[in-house]
Amino acid sequence: MITLAHVNKIYQIDGEEFYALRDINLEIKQGEFTAILGPSGCGKSTLMHIIGLLDTPTSGTLLINNKDITKLDDNELSRLRNEFAGFIFQQFNLINKLTVLENIMLPTIYSAKKYSYEPKTRALELMDRFGILIKQKSYPNKLSGGQQQRVAIARALLNEPKIILADEPTGNLDSKTGKNILDLIRELNQKEGMTVVLVTHDREIAESCQRHISMLDGKIV
Amino acid sequence: MGILLSIIKTSLSDFDRNKLRTFLTSLGILIGVSSVILLVSLGVGLKNYITEQFENLGSNILIAMPGQIFGGDRQMTGGNFSGITFTEKDYLAIAKVSGIKAVAPAYVKTVSVSFEGKTEIGSYYGTTAEIFPMRNLEAGYGQIFSAGDVEKRKKIIVVGPKIAEKLFGNMGSFVGKTVKIEDQGFKVSGILKSKGGGGFGGPDFDSFLYVPYKSSPKINQEKKFSVINFQADSETVIDTVKESVTALLERSYDEEDFSVIEQTQIQETVTSIFAILNGVLVAIAAISLIVGGIGIMNIMYITVTERIREIGIRRAMGATRRNILSQFLFEAVFLSFIGGSFGLIVSLVIVFIGSRYFPLAIDLMSVVVALTVSTTIGVVFGVLPARKAALLSPVEAIRYE
Repeated sequence: MITLAHVNKIYQIDGEEFYALRDINLEIKQGEFTAILGPSGCGKSTLMHIIGLLDTPTSGTLLINNKDITKLDDNELSRLRNEFAGFIFQQFNLINKLTVLENIMLPTIYSAKKYSYEPKTRALELMDRFGILIKQKSYPNKLSGGQQQRVAIARALLNEPKIILADEPTGNLDSKTGKNILDLIRELNQKEGMTVVLVTHDREIAESCQRHISMLDGKIV
Repeated sequence: MGILLSIIKTSLSDFDRNKLRTFLTSLGILIGVSSVILLVSLGVGLKNYITEQFENLGSNILIAMPGQIFGGDRQMTGGNFSGITFTEKDYLAIAKVSGIKAVAPAYVKTVSVSFEGKTEIGSYYGTTAEIFPMRNLEAGYGQIFSAGDVEKRKKIIVVGPKIAEKLFGNMGSFVGKTVKIEDQGFKVSGILKSKGGGGFGGPDFDSFLYVPYKSSPKINQEKKFSVINFQADSETVIDTVKESVTALLERSYDEEDFSVIEQTQIQETVTSIFAILNGVLVAIAAISLIVGGIGIMNIMYITVTERIREIGIRRAMGATRRNILSQFLFEAVFLSFIGGSFGLIVSLVIVFIGSRYFPLAIDLMSVVVALTVSTTIGVVFGVLPARKAALLSPVEAIRYE
């Protein structure tokens, strides 16, 4: 489904080259639940951002469904972000001036997708499923961390993505809420066969996943 | 198309949610636009007012007066007044010059005038009946005096409305009563309609006390005149008339002791002084446009910059660069349009109300320039930072501090 070959990500810091990612080769298959494990600064988030098309590699190739995405233009990349990938961030990244429902509906604004379902109905179903239906008219900053992350997950799922990319989704939550969120993501993988890539620094969480990759200093070890 | 529509809907609901920000941004443009329009309208209004005042004073008018009024380069100098006066003989000679339609000599003197125990200071204006048609003066109450009244040495007076108001208060009913100037009684024949003006370089015809020049031997014993107004038949003969009258007066006076000037010369001088004032107003308008522009620039830049993270989130959700630009372009155009229109409305209202008390006139050019500059700044500085943000990768935008 996703193939990375010889991917490098280099930042220029004060004229010196810094390798955030160094010669990454990785394949992610459909239906897999992959955890990327490593200490902070090891490049795991950068890797996830590149897989999710939020960032571009400096060199190397990234194939999604055998298509080389380094050759796509902004419109095609945006469409993949919109329809192919769903993101869950550590910081939730909700827009505070939009209501919960409007946040969840955000991807529909930019979508050229032909919906086989009514997006709003799906949004309400997802909220109901995640226990946040009564919060639909609230604003995100009035919600608890766990609730905000549920909103983010509902938003990620709205356009029926092929893959869920979760960057430290439990990082800002207490352990009990974190476990709930994790169970929810795991359920998506197990019951719906959703492909999931999860970034974490928690070995225990990583080892509980079907597959885990360890990273250190920009390399897979 | 559907995407563009939902982007516009998003922007509109965004304005609704951020009323203060929307208000402040539009306010910057509003102030920029209206201050420019108002300042320029003040300048244009003054200019129109002066021109109108002079046109009101009659056309093709020349004035012979003592001293040198204009230096060689037509600047109004301090004047070296010679102290000569003209005579009745001069007046009658000028009246015979061909190309002259009317002559109104005048003896002007500051006098005290009293009515039923009330005394005011006024300007005595001993003249002929021709002063009234020449200067477009009309009676508001009673009537003006005639050439016959002058010849008959009638002790009558036509009072300018300003001095009349001071003397009589309620005017009309005082026609026919008697006022006293230096112990001589004059029957009020009429009170003039107000012309306004005076003070901008032209004589203030509303403040004079018009008396037939032959009627007051005590005040003007020798029938001297301090000034002779005369009117040419048409614009084409003004120069010839001016030369003839000058030649005529040179027979009796030294050429440096008097001048014959065209009223338009005075008008040009006054207009050139106001052109400087107008220039200052335009400069102030330009400065306020710059200041307003910087204000618009700041608020646009700040509001867009603080939304870079939001831009990142929207990009992560599938917004293209073009989507982001459309959204911010629409917002900037909308805000500029709202601010610009309200600025225009505010200045139109102020000009409409203010013009009752002060000369104000809308200048179309200033409206166009003010609107164009303000909205251009608004749109450019609304879109530039958004463009910068849209060019970042979504992750960089989300992390932007």
